[in-house]
Amino acid sequence: MSERAAFQYGTDRPAKKQWRSLEEYAETEAFQEAVKNEFPEGAADLVDPVGRRSFIGLMGASLGLAGLTGCRRPLEHILPYQKRPPDLIPGRPMYFATAFPFAGTAIGLLVESNEGRPTKIEGNPAHPDSLGSANHFAQGSILDLYDPDRSPEPLERFQKRSWDQAAALLTARGALAAKAQGAGLWILTEAHRSPTLARKLLELTRKWPKARVIRYDPLTRRNGREGAHLAFGRRLELVPAVEKAKMIVSLDSDFLFSDGSPVKNARGFANGRRISGPKADLNRLYVAEAGFSVTGANADHRLRLRNREIPLVAFALARAVQQRGVDLGPGLAAQLNVPVELSEPTAPKWIAAVADELVQRRAEGVLVLAGQRQPPEVHAVAQLLDIALGQLGRTVRYVQAFDETDDGPESLLALASAMHAGEVQTLLVLGGNPVHDAPADARFQDALAKVPVSIHLAPLLDETSRYATWHLNQAHYLEQWSDVRAEDGTASIVQPLIAPLFDGRTDAEVVELLLGGSARAYELVQGTWSAQAPPGPFEAGWRRSLNDGVISETAFPLETPAIDPAGLVQALVAFTAAPKAGFELVFFPDAHRWDGRFANNGWLTEMADPMTTITWDNAALLSPKTAAALGIRLSGTTYETPTGGARPDRLNYDHFATEMLDLTLADGTKLSMPAFIQPGLADDTIAVTIGWGRTNAGKIGSGKGFDVGPLRRSTDFWAVQNVRAVKGSGLYKLARTQEHNVMEHRPLAVEANVAEFEKNPRFVDEEVEKLKLVPLNLFSPKDAMKYEGQKWGMVIDLGTCIGCQACTIACQAENNIPIVGKEGVLFGREMHWIRIDRYYTGEPEEAEAIYQPVPCMQCENAPCELVCPVAATQHSEEGLNEMVYNRCVGTRYCMNNCPYKVRRFNWFNFNRDVPELKRMQFNPEVTVRSRGVMEKCTYCVQRIEEARIAAKREQRNEIREGEVIPACAQSCPTNAIVFGDYNDPNSMVSKQTAQPRMYKLLNELNTQPRTRYLARIKNPNPALESA
Amino acid sequence: MSASPAQAELAPGAYEYDQSLTLDESPATRPPLVLGAKNFHDITEQVSDIVERRTPRPWVLLLVAAISLFLVLQGSLYRLVTTGIGEWGNNSPVGWAWDITGFVFWIGIGHAGTLISAILFLFRQKWRTSINRAAEAMTLFAVACALIYPVFHVGRPWLAYWLFPLPNQMTMWVNFRSPLMWDVFAVNTYGTVSLLFWFTGLVPDVAMLRDRAVTRGRQIVYGILSFGWRGSHRNWLNYEKAYLILAGISTPLVLSVHTVVSMDFATSVIPGWHTTIFPPYFVAGAVYSGFAMVMTLMLMARRAYRLDNLITIRHIENMNKIILATGAMVSYSYIMEFFIAYYSNDPYERFHFINREFGPMWWAGWTMFTCNALIPHLFWFKRIRRSILASFIISIFVNIGMWFERFVIIVSSLYRDYLPSAWGYFHPRLVDITTFGGTFGLFFSLFLLFSRYLPMIAASEIKGVMPEANPHAHDPTGEHATHGPDLLEAAHVRT
Repeated sequence: MSERAAFQYGTDRPAKKQWRSLEEYAETEAFQEAVKNEFPEGAADLVDPVGRRSFIGLMGASLGLAGLTGCRRPLEHILPYQKRPPDLIPGRPMYFATAFPFAGTAIGLLVESNEGRPTKIEGNPAHPDSLGSANHFAQGSILDLYDPDRSPEPLERFQKRSWDQAAALLTARGALAAKAQGAGLWILTEAHRSPTLARKLLELTRKWPKARVIRYDPLTRRNGREGAHLAFGRRLELVPAVEKAKMIVSLDSDFLFSDGSPVKNARGFANGRRISGPKADLNRLYVAEAGFSVTGANADHRLRLRNREIPLVAFALARAVQQRGVDLGPGLAAQLNVPVELSEPTAPKWIAAVADELVQRRAEGVLVLAGQRQPPEVHAVAQLLDIALGQLGRTVRYVQAFDETDDGPESLLALASAMHAGEVQTLLVLGGNPVHDAPADARFQDALAKVPVSIHLAPLLDETSRYATWHLNQAHYLEQWSDVRAEDGTASIVQPLIAPLFDGRTDAEVVELLLGGSARAYELVQGTWSAQAPPGPFEAGWRRSLNDGVISETAFPLETPAIDPAGLVQALVAFTAAPKAGFELVFFPDAHRWDGRFANNGWLTEMADPMTTITWDNAALLSPKTAAALGIRLSGTTYETPTGGARPDRLNYDHFATEMLDLTLADGTKLSMPAFIQPGLADDTIAVTIGWGRTNAGKIGSGKGFDVGPLRRSTDFWAVQNVRAVKGSGLYKLARTQEHNVMEHRPLAVEANVAEFEKNPRFVDEEVEKLKLVPLNLFSPKDAMKYEGQKWGMVIDLGTCIGCQACTIACQAENNIPIVGKEGVLFGREMHWIRIDRYYTGEPEEAEAIYQPVPCMQCENAPCELVCPVAATQHSEEGLNEMVYNRCVGTRYCMNNCPYKVRRFNWFNFNRDVPELKRMQFNPEVTVRSRGVMEKCTYCVQRIEEARIAAKREQRNEIREGEVIPACAQSCPTNAIVFGDYNDPNSMVSKQTAQPRMYKLLNELNTQPRTRYLARIKNPNPALESA
Repeated sequence: MSASPAQAELAPGAYEYDQSLTLDESPATRPPLVLGAKNFHDITEQVSDIVERRTPRPWVLLLVAAISLFLVLQGSLYRLVTTGIGEWGNNSPVGWAWDITGFVFWIGIGHAGTLISAILFLFRQKWRTSINRAAEAMTLFAVACALIYPVFHVGRPWLAYWLFPLPNQMTMWVNFRSPLMWDVFAVNTYGTVSLLFWFTGLVPDVAMLRDRAVTRGRQIVYGILSFGWRGSHRNWLNYEKAYLILAGISTPLVLSVHTVVSMDFATSVIPGWHTTIFPPYFVAGAVYSGFAMVMTLMLMARRAYRLDNLITIRHIENMNKIILATGAMVSYSYIMEFFIAYYSNDPYERFHFINREFGPMWWAGWTMFTCNALIPHLFWFKRIRRSILASFIISIFVNIGMWFERFVIIVSSLYRDYLPSAWGYFHPRLVDITTFGGTFGLFFSLFLLFSRYLPMIAASEIKGVMPEANPHAHDPTGEHATHGPDLLEAAHVRT
């Protein structure tokens, strides 16, 4: 205890054991008890990693930091404010710009900070890859900051060590490496985009030329760069401008959700699909893919195709374009002119139509994108098409790659073989988790045992840290300085909002220690940018960069690559398509966990997968036909058939039960995992997501789902052919938030084609009229409330909602919404205030999907208000349907009577076991609900009230348009959700409501919802439609 | 219920009567309501003996079993209060499940008691006297069981009192627009009036027990409970008036309580709930279930305490006729719901009713339909109507069916309503089962205690319907009043 306490209060020094008595020295139990009793209240906090005192200390420190907007003073822990930091007003949140490094890009953020605690993440409008929005990973990443499972100190083979000891080790290993010019020193990094880390690594390799720096990303984007290499001879980075394309062809690219810079892409896509009047001028999206991605759900024409046939489609498309008179370059014509056989009978027609349109509309802007799963040849062909169709500088732009070195499986394999050969004396792994996510043939865990000193920097004691000799605790991006480049190269400073909670360090700091230096992250980052700063005073520019969240003029210059036909021809000659028979196992990034890094994040784990709505698990997805062939059944799934919803198949009388699938590779590797039937999936395809089945991921992350890593080889990194799949034994429960997938012919999520819409802009009204139901009310309209002040409302455009779940997680963060666990979801008790309904339409095999976000409708005639016996849910003068938590006794009558089922009940005290640390994330403006009370979407009433206070201070009665943005609308990458005052004729909501395709969900019930919808307009190609 | 030890304690040959009498169904002469008893004193002896005899062993065993089950209820409620309603299987969208099913089930059961005491009294249905006391007691115990649910099913039961319009410092008033609020008033009125009615009827019989009491304790307790009843003419005059007034007050309650309960559902917007047929349908269903429960209990009591001479085949047949009549109303309601769903052309309604019988919860829908709308129609056959065994079995079926009716209405309406995305399912959890099972423990504990310590048969009222009570009983011409010694007995004045 004494040692621990000293560690708490002191700096990083290993404390000399201090003792006051012999009892203490002996550390008897009786003495421990006596010590506790000496300070009866809260004395035990001393042994808590983040107790009250250390918390206040951290808070004070971070406030000191906050007051100076980024200018960091030497870290001194202070207690109360003797003098208040100048900008700080207690109770008023402050916002700081920073950036979230994510998957080959960065999302610029504005982070809300309450009294020094970062609580909520929002997008930074000034950042090119955010444009004011943040995806669900960025929204959820704040929870990882307060993850109680993060390791509080470095560990050497599970023994606690101080950072001084770790630094000594690093310096010693650096000195050792220096003797051999770095031979034996290998550094493995993620596919990072941090200029500072790159600078330090460059410094290291210059200093010790024989040291090796390897990059590895389990979701590598190397194929795109290699494709550019094939096409242009240079490894360039493609930066698509989706907003400029009138026609987009995605060859297995999930660019709206997981490929490239999804937030920016989604905004660009949505901007091309906005409708303001009775005419619709929309872009058109074609998707050919094996899985059913979010992008596929938004496609106007989706070609369901086996993954291994995508290259063939790409080549056939190129040939078809060439046949339509577009010159692709010498030699290519012959190479592409090979007959292509595709398993889908509709494919030739689809390809012909796409080619026609590509050629015809090239002047308007077209874009062909290839997905990261596809081999470089497909990327090369796609890029070739873009260039040949004259899109360079318009829909496609190229910039230099941040790092041209390979970050794919081969690079890791090279490292692993060196490790196996005993060539690696010191391995420094900066982030990542290769023991979990390295290709199985690398046998990374075994390799690690052969390395004398392996050091892993990670936020918690994960699989790699467990087998490494040293674990160093990594700082979260919200608590240490760093920098990151966006997709187009625009740099942002990753600015901390809080002093490191667990004294973690950044990757650059660790490299600095290895190099024998002692500079901290702040100096390192400043060092990077002061060297590149334009002449003049550095400090002002630095401050401006911190304030804006981007460093101006740092985007990479645009490149104008030229096609290198020879290389491309050579590549295509060498390309062999995958065999045509057998099951194909395809790997996908996971919507909850990405590559496994968000495993311990409860919000993301409990988020519904956008397509399957599975939470807390991964599954092997099969098409209905494939499942039937394998004899796989699934409980409770229905599809809309021409005769209406079929009765669900029921296994074992359990609603969530599904059967197991046994997968076997050619070499005998086996995996048994639950099967799930995914309508619209390609046949003979088994789609799985990576990142599950982790063993050392923390309380939430460990032991959930199924690890597909053992099936993933460097040679079959994205797909494995000829997998043996048989029905396994037993049943498994998959917790889904939505069990019924069809609308049962009800006009709920309404959509139409452009032609239908232009013929009859008010088609939605007709859809609803088909019900022949008349809204009735006993009371005359003159008895209704008048709403003379402001009249809040929300309009959700289904035409631009892509179903990405960012709003759900943003709402969860803003409104202190608890998670309920897998059992809770199985019982139907998830607490999300805004959910995304996903309905399938069409035949199961060729299913299409439509998304519909459903928050509280804030009905003017609210059925819930009527039935509450204690009047705990009330109508405000501005039309909000308000929930008074402390009046609620919990009869749940309101929940029953809500036709939209948006009310959520606290079945237990879900917030009782929230760790102290996690409580720091709570939004102080929102009540943390206890058990037994109802809750639901409030339109973020706390933000309305905040704006009202601000307005009143300015002697205004009216809150202006844009002063209130609820969390969901704020985070929406496509701006599909708008919020405002219906009484203001110029507000966005008023304008949207005036659109002919506006409708009110279940209007026939006369609930008069304030949340309204705009029907989705799809833009199918008439040539394909007529088929 | 083999009550052999209890039987052994009966005097051999007591209350035996000529079985053939019950088969006399001549339209000109109605069979007597009481068989085998020679005079008023025999009735007194028979009714009092149940209370006064040595504690029968089976009764003790049954009480132990019932109290054990009641303890299960207490344990379940402890769990609910300490952890939360999540211990039940309720979820979103099924906010109410076994809780409100249990509530409506028990409230419905109670209706037979009120109907027998009030409406049959006003209609001068004299046969009711053999069963009314037990039926009224059953009403009270059922209401007690029912009241457990509104209190403990709320998320914060310690605040359940907020449902009463109590003045408070928050100046918060209850929401009178809420049907749950109407429920509070309806059920409380019902419980209060039922208690008063039952207690008023008990007074002369408790006085009878007081007068026969041999221990000090009984004398004191029955003395207090009999309110100084002396059997005077004035006593009787006041008693009869009070009884009539209470019957008058209770009569509308028979209709109102379940009407209000049905409005919990009928005023909502949920397909399957939002139905104008609900008030009469619920009342008929309540009387139906209540009579079935009375039948179940009385057949058991009749066997255990050998009350064959008081609860005759005629009584059983009359009750069966009521079961048949109300069962037919319920059957009609079921069919009419389907017809209206079809006729309304409302797709949500139509979907709901198809889903009720052919959706994932088809088993509940068909159990309800079979138990309530098919099996009781066997009572059209006289032989079945007059068969003790068949009556018992069918009454059990109706009890089960009526529980399922409430389950179907509540759960199968909620689990699939408007937005298919929000559809769910319901699986009961252990505490659902123990809570509902436990209410039977409470019910039977109370009923066993009642049967042991209070006159289970309304002795004074039975005496009133015996031939001896008629001044012309012994005078076929009806010209002269007869004064037999038994009349003194009728007034319970022990000389």
